[in-house]
Amino acid sequence: MMEELAEVPWAVIAPLIVVQFILMIIALVDLRKIHATNGPKILWVFLIIFTSYIGSIAYFIVGRKQS
Amino acid sequence: MRGFTVLLQKEFREAWRSWKFLWIPLVFALLGMSDPLTNYYMMDILNAIGNLPEGFEMLMPELMPVDLLQASIGQFQTIGLLVIIASFVGAISKERASGMATLLYVRPISFGAYFMSKFIVMSTVSLISILAGFAASVYYTVVLYGTFEIGTLMASFFTYFSWLLFVIAVTLMMSAAFTTVVATACAFAVIFIGQIVDAIVGAFWTISPWKLPVYGVQLMRGTMEMSDYWWSLSITLAITIICMSIGALTMKKNASMTKI
Repeated sequence: MMEELAEVPWAVIAPLIVVQFILMIIALVDLRKIHATNGPKILWVFLIIFTSYIGSIAYFIVGRKQS
Repeated sequence: MRGFTVLLQKEFREAWRSWKFLWIPLVFALLGMSDPLTNYYMMDILNAIGNLPEGFEMLMPELMPVDLLQASIGQFQTIGLLVIIASFVGAISKERASGMATLLYVRPISFGAYFMSKFIVMSTVSLISILAGFAASVYYTVVLYGTFEIGTLMASFFTYFSWLLFVIAVTLMMSAAFTTVVATACAFAVIFIGQIVDAIVGAFWTISPWKLPVYGVQLMRGTMEMSDYWWSLSITLAITIICMSIGALTMKKNASMTKI
């Protein structure tokens, strides 16, 4: 298992993972601050965490309720 | 001009508070990364999840760096434009619907200045976004495939930016003219159906705004007819300016649509 992990070219993959992670964090921070969303808040938490980046994009486009 | 700087500050603050300066560039960076990576690891991906039959062999095309940039631009053209249009189409119409516009319209502001401030903020966001997208795509292409010529790369970048200015101008004009739902439909129709029509019957003409992203790539390949390029670029910029003037006028005309 550790050998397989060591074979992954981390230098190439790492930026991709980091960018996805930052996007997820921004979406979660915004979700924490925002007063109300379209649809239940807990649903958006699961969508953002479990769908790689589509969930975060969907949250920013349709989830935020501008008042 | 004092009004203009105040409005510009308001727009920047709004875009900053809704995280637009952060998440749209990140999405473009992800889109730019995905194509060089998936193409490079295509064999591994197919082996891992492809369910290929025993003894299956496939000849992979030899990809040039330009091909990967073209694939990345293709990604920007679909998901990227979708994100930009969807997040900006409510800029004017949503303010009218929520009644926030009333607070502004009762003051002696110039509608031209208000429209320009929105346009400038949106073009700044999209400039940063495609900067991030191109940087990600070029970085991975240089690491995995080969190098670009910097001059033509810059030319291609600014060609794509002028196409985005056209997209933003059309989006804002629709937002000024209609309610959010109608504006979304119209902006999508002009941008995406325009692309489809251009792809199907576009062989009959060589000058159109929808061809500009392809022309940017052809500049890098060195197969571009320069007169077609300059005509397309100037027509795109002219339509952009016309859309902006129509947008400012309809914004003034529809000021009474605002909810009180």
